[in-house]
Amino acid sequence: MSQFDRYTHYVERYSDVPDHCTIYGEHVPAMRAVMGGVLTRIETLRKEMREKTGTDPVDHCLARIKTEESMREKLRRRGFSETTEDALFKIRDAIGVRIVCAFLNDVYMIKDYLVRFEDYEVVDEKDYIRHAKPNGYRSYHMIIRVGGTYYVELQLRTISMDTWAALEHQMHYKKGTLENDALIASELKRCADELASTDVSMQIIRDMIREEGA
Amino acid sequence: MKLLLAEDTRDMNRALTAVLSHEGYDVDSVFDGEEALSHIRHDSYDGIILDIMMPKKNGLEVLSEVRAINILTPVLLLTAKAEVDDRVAGLDAGADDYLTKPFAIKELLARVRSMTRRRREYSVKELKYEDIVLNAERFELTSSNSVRLSIKEFELMQALILNAGRKLDTKYLLDHVWEKEDAQPDTVWLYISYLRGKLLAVDSRVIISGARGGSFQLTPGVGRDKT
Repeated sequence: MSQFDRYTHYVERYSDVPDHCTIYGEHVPAMRAVMGGVLTRIETLRKEMREKTGTDPVDHCLARIKTEESMREKLRRRGFSETTEDALFKIRDAIGVRIVCAFLNDVYMIKDYLVRFEDYEVVDEKDYIRHAKPNGYRSYHMIIRVGGTYYVELQLRTISMDTWAALEHQMHYKKGTLENDALIASELKRCADELASTDVSMQIIRDMIREEGA
Repeated sequence: MKLLLAEDTRDMNRALTAVLSHEGYDVDSVFDGEEALSHIRHDSYDGIILDIMMPKKNGLEVLSEVRAINILTPVLLLTAKAEVDDRVAGLDAGADDYLTKPFAIKELLARVRSMTRRRREYSVKELKYEDIVLNAERFELTSSNSVRLSIKEFELMQALILNAGRKLDTKYLLDHVWEKEDAQPDTVWLYISYLRGKLLAVDSRVIISGARGGSFQLTPGVGRDKT
């Protein structure tokens, strides 16, 4: 069983790169281990929560190592050299984990849980949930440095934020080719604001159910 | 339905109060402009009846001050026959209607019914309070972000903004936001909780104070870290 296989059952989708991926040099196995480590920690928390409360704070996780092609493209775009050094330490999302939660508070709970580990140093943090992007995009972004070496980009969001982002991604690709660009963009923004509102309401209803049951 | 009657002539005041109470209105009656203003600032009314000629502050002054502080309660002015300029000035200052003395009680009652009915249809496009904007066309609550509200959330927020600085009890909110709909005190509490969450979600500093089943009030809140 490879290290890859060991973690696949934790995640819905897992994108890996071949061992011989040249941009990452000899680092691929170590990068996989770091990514797997994040997933294992999340899995441990989920198990604990399931046993304690009977509910799972996480709907699903996605994990990926950036493909050679898109890493090289990003290095060029950002004006860095196409070297292993820059791919690993100038670009900070070679390793990415997305954690999708059912409820708003779970997003913050998982974040708080992860930052407590001593070998995870938070180097950047952006709360696009509290401070949504102008187009309506919402997610909690965090870059951690694991054990002083590899960076991992974490994206935490709710299911509705995830659904929205998927649709926005499609729109983004077709931008400029659509007749109603502006209309679609403003309608997407409206949907983002409605979903954000519903996320808050669902959280409050869940709190109420828990209180009444207590 | 709660009315404020400001009329300095004792007999007239007493008679109107009696008639309006008999019709089922909850009436507060005062005798001068300053008293009227202080009642309007501290209580919530569904309609205000203002005599123009009053001591201390006249009806027009009261009206201007009331509108200046964003209170949109409908106002019916009572004017003497000759005061054409007053009637024009009153309507321009934000009165909803006027009635010339002497008038028939029947007509007064009809005008009160009409003005309180119109109140429900009254809406401004945008209401502002501290760092929030409530947009009535889009049902949108905005501070540094925006969210879309449901109809009842919107109406509750509107009531809170229009009465900012005053405490609104659960019963008042049930009567005015939910009216004849099937709702209970916990419905109010749930919607207050929704709005609290949504104020946080748009990153506003505004707070809704108050506890389950009690009275609620919008307050500016304190600064929070902008991270």
